[in-house]
Amino acid sequence: MAAEKKFTGGDLLFNVLEQHGVEHVFGYPGGAIMPIYDALYDSNVEHFLCRHEQGAAFSAVGYARASGKVGVCFATSGPGATNLITGLADALADSIPVVAITGQVATAAMGSDAFQEIDIFGLSIACTKHSFQVTDINDLAMVLHQAFAIALEGRQGPVLVDIPKDIQVAEVNACLDELVNLKNKVKLPPANVGSAIALLSQAKKPILYVGGGVGMANAIDELRAFAQTTGLPSVSTLKGLGAIDPEDKNYLGMLGMHGTKAANLAVQECDLLIAVGARFDDRVTGKLNEFAPHAKVIHFDIDTAEINKRRAVDAAILGDLKVNLPALAIPLAISPWQTKCQQMAKDFTWDYNHPGETIFAPAVLKEISDNMPKNTCVTTDVGQHQMWAAQHMLFDDPSNFLTSGGMGTMGFGIPAAIGAQVSRPTDCIIAVSGDGSFMMNVQELSTIKRFQLPVKIVLIDNAKLGMVRQWQDLFFNGRLSETDLADNPDFIMLANAFDIKAKVIKEKSQVTAAIEEMLEHDGPYLLQVKIDAQDNVWPLVPPNTANDKMMENT
Amino acid sequence: MNNYQLTIKADDKQVVLERILQVTRYRGFLISGINAKVNTGTNIGTIELMVRSERPIELLVDQINKLIDIKDVKVDNSASQQRNA
Repeated sequence: MAAEKKFTGGDLLFNVLEQHGVEHVFGYPGGAIMPIYDALYDSNVEHFLCRHEQGAAFSAVGYARASGKVGVCFATSGPGATNLITGLADALADSIPVVAITGQVATAAMGSDAFQEIDIFGLSIACTKHSFQVTDINDLAMVLHQAFAIALEGRQGPVLVDIPKDIQVAEVNACLDELVNLKNKVKLPPANVGSAIALLSQAKKPILYVGGGVGMANAIDELRAFAQTTGLPSVSTLKGLGAIDPEDKNYLGMLGMHGTKAANLAVQECDLLIAVGARFDDRVTGKLNEFAPHAKVIHFDIDTAEINKRRAVDAAILGDLKVNLPALAIPLAISPWQTKCQQMAKDFTWDYNHPGETIFAPAVLKEISDNMPKNTCVTTDVGQHQMWAAQHMLFDDPSNFLTSGGMGTMGFGIPAAIGAQVSRPTDCIIAVSGDGSFMMNVQELSTIKRFQLPVKIVLIDNAKLGMVRQWQDLFFNGRLSETDLADNPDFIMLANAFDIKAKVIKEKSQVTAAIEEMLEHDGPYLLQVKIDAQDNVWPLVPPNTANDKMMENT
Repeated sequence: MNNYQLTIKADDKQVVLERILQVTRYRGFLISGINAKVNTGTNIGTIELMVRSERPIELLVDQINKLIDIKDVKVDNSASQQRNA
């Protein structure tokens, strides 16, 4: 029998959150969500006050990605709700389970252009997996249960629940043991195992192309067993980094626009591409009709809509990777191809020679990677530093590398690190940022201070919007338009203003000691690393170009 | 441009029609016509959607099928062929 009890809508919200194991939420109060914040006062859920709703959304994303749990964020109506949108779009693009709760003006006032009223329900359609607006208190519990179920079911994603103020204060008899099954789940066609086995058996030059779906499916063990049994040479997308053991002798690194030469050349030469939880993103494929031109394709995914979306598939394996990967794990006779790929990996190693005394960011990031504690979680912002981190830092699990892949959202790194630190309080969390991105959510330093979170921030500072500057130099005839950030604030003073210890380094000789000091510091720390503004990210596949026609540093 | 006619069954939920229209536009299909009605007994809506695009219709069918409130999407081949004639 279900236990019945009188709740306000606000009370009911927190009881349902606790039913779903929610311990932490990120948010910012305001007029139309005040009854929920009043109910928070008596709940067991711990709230982390962020200093902007976008920060709250990204912290929820970071929390979810670092922990595998659903991230939860709160915002009030109107501007509070619209400030969540970028974070929700980011979660949608990277398939992250987030539940966003927004306050709304009272139902009687809805549609009257009331103070702080915006149609967030309508706005959410394009940036969430699903959304709800609760107009009857008796629906609230079921809607919240559905929100969690939808966020986690199949291809994960963000769900928004908009709750008008009168629903938050209305009373209801709650049925707390009521959980839902989704009745309209997409029915997946049977996996094409026979065709896939035949393709695998016939292939002479197969490549395993690993995407973010592997980590989302919690199928890392199954993937590694599959790679081990088949002996497949492998490459990874940005979001897939960490799924394959980076020390695996058959692993060639990241592919795509800033991928390794070995990974891109091997994919271009392969005769079979086994895509696992990957979606043939344009940053991966380069010129699509010249991507892996000789390859047939086996595509493992949970999302039917990804099959044949950008690349025709010869065998679709839809469903749970934990089930489907073992079903296709057969030994393959591909030793000449393995030998060739291993040789390419040896031939095209990273070059850390960098003339002069100015600091070389790839070398700094490699040194941090080599020295950071086991199970460190690294977040990034977006730009050159992001690609350098992806190239030069090694991760043994996708939940240890949180970066905005699909949306490419500057401002992601600091709040995502906050969410990661809250979810994993004993692990080292390092946010790698750039001077452009850092300023996009700089107010979240206050959240770090408020909760004394020991987040380490590595600020790669070239006083430029570096990636845009690089493209302006390479593809816009050096016409540098609005990419100079020479008027940045004094980042050390700025960090100190938030009680964050900080240090700036400008020469190679300072790097090792600075990294050691940062990693040994108990509390939050900002390490500003000044680099040469002309340093570029290499290799680079120019836009609309095949991946084997990459530009390199010459 | 190819013309297609889809028949979509959906739960009669808030904004389901807006969701279908948003996905249709975003995925590169132009809407030529629409008929929608709800069976008040079953609370299931039936939407007939006439669309045109250079893109294969399967891309749109798969995306509409992903929407939470959708029960079924069918391409009416005879109507689609007539519209292309």
